[in-house]
Amino acid sequence: MTEAHATPAHHDSHAPHHVWYFGVFGALCILTLISVACDLFHIEGKVIHGINIVVAVLVLSVATAKALFVMTYFMHLKFEGRWKFLLLSPTIILAIGLPLALLPDVGVHYYPTDIPQNSAKVTERSHTQLETTSESPH
Amino acid sequence: MSHAHATTLHGAPPLKMGLPIPNSKLGVWLFLGTEIMFFTAFIGTYIVLRLGSPDWPHDPNVTHIRIWAGGTNTFVLLASSYLVVVAHESMVARNIPRAKRYLLGTFALACVFLGIKAYEYYGKWDHDILPGHIAEDDNQAMTKTLGDFDKLLNRQYALYVPDSEASRLADKRTAIDAKTKNASPEERKKIDALKALDKEYLALRAQHQELKLQLVPLSEKLEALKKNPEFAALLGGLEAHHPIKYGNIFASTYFLMTGFHALHVIVGMILFAIPLWIITLDHRWTDYVENCGLYWHFVDLVWIFLFPLIYII
Repeated sequence: MTEAHATPAHHDSHAPHHVWYFGVFGALCILTLISVACDLFHIEGKVIHGINIVVAVLVLSVATAKALFVMTYFMHLKFEGRWKFLLLSPTIILAIGLPLALLPDVGVHYYPTDIPQNSAKVTERSHTQLETTSESPH
Repeated sequence: MSHAHATTLHGAPPLKMGLPIPNSKLGVWLFLGTEIMFFTAFIGTYIVLRLGSPDWPHDPNVTHIRIWAGGTNTFVLLASSYLVVVAHESMVARNIPRAKRYLLGTFALACVFLGIKAYEYYGKWDHDILPGHIAEDDNQAMTKTLGDFDKLLNRQYALYVPDSEASRLADKRTAIDAKTKNASPEERKKIDALKALDKEYLALRAQHQELKLQLVPLSEKLEALKKNPEFAALLGGLEAHHPIKYGNIFASTYFLMTGFHALHVIVGMILFAIPLWIITLDHRWTDYVENCGLYWHFVDLVWIFLFPLIYII
């Protein structure tokens, strides 16, 4: 590889992109505050397996938006060639495929599972006990 | 070589095999591809287990998950990502002192992140929210509580019968009379109180072994003993454990995801320490800073998903 071959690639890599990085950082902070607000303020929604679906969809959408901001601007994917799709598609497909493949068997099943937790006797905590525990700073 | 010259003579750009990025950057992106799958395996498993466990613990008073800690750490990592991207920008502009300042800021924020994480881990350790340590039903909670009672009595007996002479509580019981023959009246009073408390413990343990003990009466009995002035000083710190259904799998997934993430933060800190303290930073390290930045943004990306999954949902 000669210097002549290597140079154009380096020029692409370090070309000035004129991104207002502080603005991106500000947007990421605002999105984080939205996530925290979703936890602090009571949002009505259907609860399945202890998960408030509205809150879950909201905060995961916000997380996806934040991830896209980071990948697009901080990781400069906006300015990269089409190789990014070739390189990232297989891993992202596999990454989404794993939970989808496990979901029908472990996550969402119509049959009762024979695990100790289902037959165990569990006494619920009283409110006074919870209040005592919550005094701890951790 | 001659081929390259010929193409240049015709005015066309020189041909280059492979992708139009430096090899090091390609290597980092390929590595990040494997890292995506590495973390998705944990995150995906967590999501699936969570959906498959109807009574998954999500009350912060039970799990000791504090949103302020996770939220602060999110801001800390976002700020560090911003600093590393402007450090790379400074490297491109050949402003090395400014780049160094930003890299130092990134390193400092990584320390803050680990400090907050350590505080959170200390909370889990303090409340014994550890894999394999959590009682998941009444019987396990009672066994654990009586185990703590046993350890507490062992410590109290050790004041009179050292561990070097008898390590087990049963041996200490046998030896205590011979060891405290010449005890002062005040000490004798304390020893009698300890023996009386031990009797209460033995009675509770016998009930538990005969499967006649229930969790609520055990908690009430402990509270009553703590209110008794004779035992109050001896029982300091003893709390009845309560069952946390799916608590162990919760703790396993929590420590697996956050632990591997924290390890990645430590690796990132080592990568940033190299241009800060080990080598003399100049413009030739621009690619290095960019590649470390890519890695660091990935660490930030993982946390962006861990934060809502662990702390909010």
